[in-house]
Amino acid sequence: MARLANILLFGVALMLFTAPASAKSVPSGPKPEFTEDFIEQGRAIYFQRCSFCHGLLGDGEGPAAPYMDPRPRDFTLGTFKFRTTQSGELPTDDDLFRTVSRGLPGTGMQAFDNDLIKNGLTEEQRWQVIAYVRTFAQEFDNEELDPVKTGKLVALPKERAPFNADSIAKGKAVFERAKCWECHGKEGRGNGQKAFDRKDDWGFPIRIRNVTLPWKLKGGAEVEDIYMRFSTGINGTPMPSFVKALSEEERWYLANFIKSLQHQPTSHQVLKVGRVEGGLPEAANDPAWDAAEPMDVRLTGQVVVAPRWQNPSIELVTMKAMTDGTDIVFRLVWDDPFADTTHDEEQELDASEISAVGAFNSYVEGDGMVPRKLETFRDAVAIQFPTKPTTGTAKPHFLRGGGSNPVQLWRWKADEADGERGGAEEAVARGWRQALKPQAEDKQQVAAKAAWADGRWSVVMKRPLATEDRNDVQFTAGNFIPMSLNAWDGSNGEHGLIMSVSTWHYVFIEAPIPMTVYLWAVLAVLVTGGLGFWLRRKAVAYSPQENEA
Amino acid sequence: MRGFRISMFWWVVITLAIVYSVVKWAIPALSREITTLPFPLPVPGTLMLFYMVLTIVALFLMVTFSDEGLESFSRPIRRLLRGDFGQPTAYLVLLAVPFFVGWQVYEVVVPKVEVPVSLRIQHPSSNFPKKFEEMKNPFSNPTDEAITAFAEAAKEGEIAFIEQVVGDIERWEEESEPDHVLEFFPTPAMTALLGEIEGGEIEPATAKAALIEKNLFEGRALYAMNCRPCHGDSVAGDGPMADGFKLRPINFTDNGTIETIVEGYTFWRVANGGPGLPTEATPWDSAMPIWKLNLSDEERWKIIMAEYDLAQKTPRIPETH
Repeated sequence: MARLANILLFGVALMLFTAPASAKSVPSGPKPEFTEDFIEQGRAIYFQRCSFCHGLLGDGEGPAAPYMDPRPRDFTLGTFKFRTTQSGELPTDDDLFRTVSRGLPGTGMQAFDNDLIKNGLTEEQRWQVIAYVRTFAQEFDNEELDPVKTGKLVALPKERAPFNADSIAKGKAVFERAKCWECHGKEGRGNGQKAFDRKDDWGFPIRIRNVTLPWKLKGGAEVEDIYMRFSTGINGTPMPSFVKALSEEERWYLANFIKSLQHQPTSHQVLKVGRVEGGLPEAANDPAWDAAEPMDVRLTGQVVVAPRWQNPSIELVTMKAMTDGTDIVFRLVWDDPFADTTHDEEQELDASEISAVGAFNSYVEGDGMVPRKLETFRDAVAIQFPTKPTTGTAKPHFLRGGGSNPVQLWRWKADEADGERGGAEEAVARGWRQALKPQAEDKQQVAAKAAWADGRWSVVMKRPLATEDRNDVQFTAGNFIPMSLNAWDGSNGEHGLIMSVSTWHYVFIEAPIPMTVYLWAVLAVLVTGGLGFWLRRKAVAYSPQENEA
Repeated sequence: MRGFRISMFWWVVITLAIVYSVVKWAIPALSREITTLPFPLPVPGTLMLFYMVLTIVALFLMVTFSDEGLESFSRPIRRLLRGDFGQPTAYLVLLAVPFFVGWQVYEVVVPKVEVPVSLRIQHPSSNFPKKFEEMKNPFSNPTDEAITAFAEAAKEGEIAFIEQVVGDIERWEEESEPDHVLEFFPTPAMTALLGEIEGGEIEPATAKAALIEKNLFEGRALYAMNCRPCHGDSVAGDGPMADGFKLRPINFTDNGTIETIVEGYTFWRVANGGPGLPTEATPWDSAMPIWKLNLSDEERWKIIMAEYDLAQKTPRIPETH
């Protein structure tokens, strides 16, 4: 009896102490034994599914690796970023299981859990591949370095304050005090550092993540995941562990605060243009903007044509638009840790070498092919519209249209923001093969006003609703006008077709409701009302003959 | 018995309410139970109209069948209008009903703002050139010459790999110092070949299987370099770039995609990309590149081979006439 009680107690204790970092991506049963045969099975899976990024030797140098930032992990050093172990320690096998299962969002490492992805790996296969990956680093053979045996684990706190205004406020105070903003920026947009002056253990410049975009958080976006990141530190990077500096409670508050910074994007595809009477907002921070409905536009790397780019910096632009009946004004807001206001054309990439059949690859390498540093290329953004009115759903191609389907771009360039029209320029494109063709000087009617603060650009662009130029988009009420975006982050090496791009969305100016609609409704009220009162008269007249007691 | 009777008026009201609820809520709820899908089957608007008109006709027949029926139906209405339930109630109904009708009329006539819906055809064939229909992947069906040449090369240990994978293999060779370069393949087909090389006699079938394995390896590498950013490393259309595209990259693990088309079609699609689509397939939304501008025929065939293999699918067999 006593034995049974002990077992039960042990079970309960086990459950308490091994509480998973996240409810998801935990193995359903105990870890299988890593026999030689099991490892060999893992080798076959690794060969088929992992080696093209991580390399046959596990050194993170597979054929697809140079084009990615962050690079695929080099397993030979035994340095792993996302763990539940103390700073500098090896990960536990469960940590590796979690990473393989759910992937690292915002990187090339995707989820391999076959519950999430049909063609993923079964739980056993995931264990097999982990057993094989462990063979790359000799550290895993050293029992003295086993974080489970040495007890160098980091657990979630037993007391966890709920996610509410109070704990968020307390977390913000911790954020200030622990000086997280020195690197991550006051708003968590990764804009604290002054330059890319630090490198990780593999020699690549540190690009601090914008923690407000949940789909970019490699270690996971839940409060539990965030807590783990600053409790364990991120090995191989300057991100330290705060286990000693902050109490469990403080770290939990901090995790709540970071969680509260996350932006949940809107999902609608139509930008409704608000109507204002008397004066459109000129500046980006004009309170008049509050009245307009925002639309988030998701962007991604331009991978449609060479030079292809899979490391875009700008993945979200929030748009608003307003009209006073004469002019239309758009506001674009996006995060960018550095305001890049110079442009050196000489450093632009000549893409012809990677653009032809037989070229090694048509993607731009993450490191080395283009300078990704400050004071090289400018930040810029462009709103693209079809030049001709569209019929039905037919449109020009979202990447710069085509020969018979031209598009117009309103491009704003940070290096010319102090110049005429605030850096805005109208240009026409007929496909991606040709450079943008600026419109004639007397046809330039877009004026921009831009501001950069706390790692965020706000650009306002204004133009009359209607113009005389046949290359211009014309805004008329009641029509869905296709619109898409191009965006460039200069210090991320972006210029030309190395950029972020969105697919088509719509701009819509609501047409006033025609008078006839009200007329019909009033007529319906009158007719039904009249009929009702006529029936009442009939009913009253009928009553004497009725005997109802 | 008399105590349980209700007037014809309430009969009509309750029947209409029941029929309406069945069509509006019960059918969709039942359809979810039957299909176990997370959403109900759509009930067309005309179906509701049809059922309600039928019900009203039937009720009208029933009410007007006899004078008693008509009387039983109209009495509550008369009493209400006359003010037997209080004058305020009568006026309230007399005002509320017209306003409700007016509101409904407004809803019907007010211009609706709806995003243009593009109905898209996924595998358009209107501009599919027939010459592609019976094309076969030369790398999953190697010729005898190719097999012999590969067997010879394997004997010599001088395998020509595509340049994209050479760097990784060379580093592996330096580190592992293998007896034969093909040892990095942990697959039965290659192990069998290496065994036969040692024995000195290579069976054509063994060489063929090994050559296919080698082509597949190169295809996977090219897939990881070129296609993975959008289509994902598990070919599920969920690569790191996928979320930025309104028209999501195709999920090859879906039963309705590469399995339902012939190999030649896949080849044609990969070559011509989004801009090569006919209008019914909304080419302007497709981010699929025109790969013939950047990849050779060989590279594209090898990628297609890897794609089918990773998705665990086989292409549709061309119809013979």
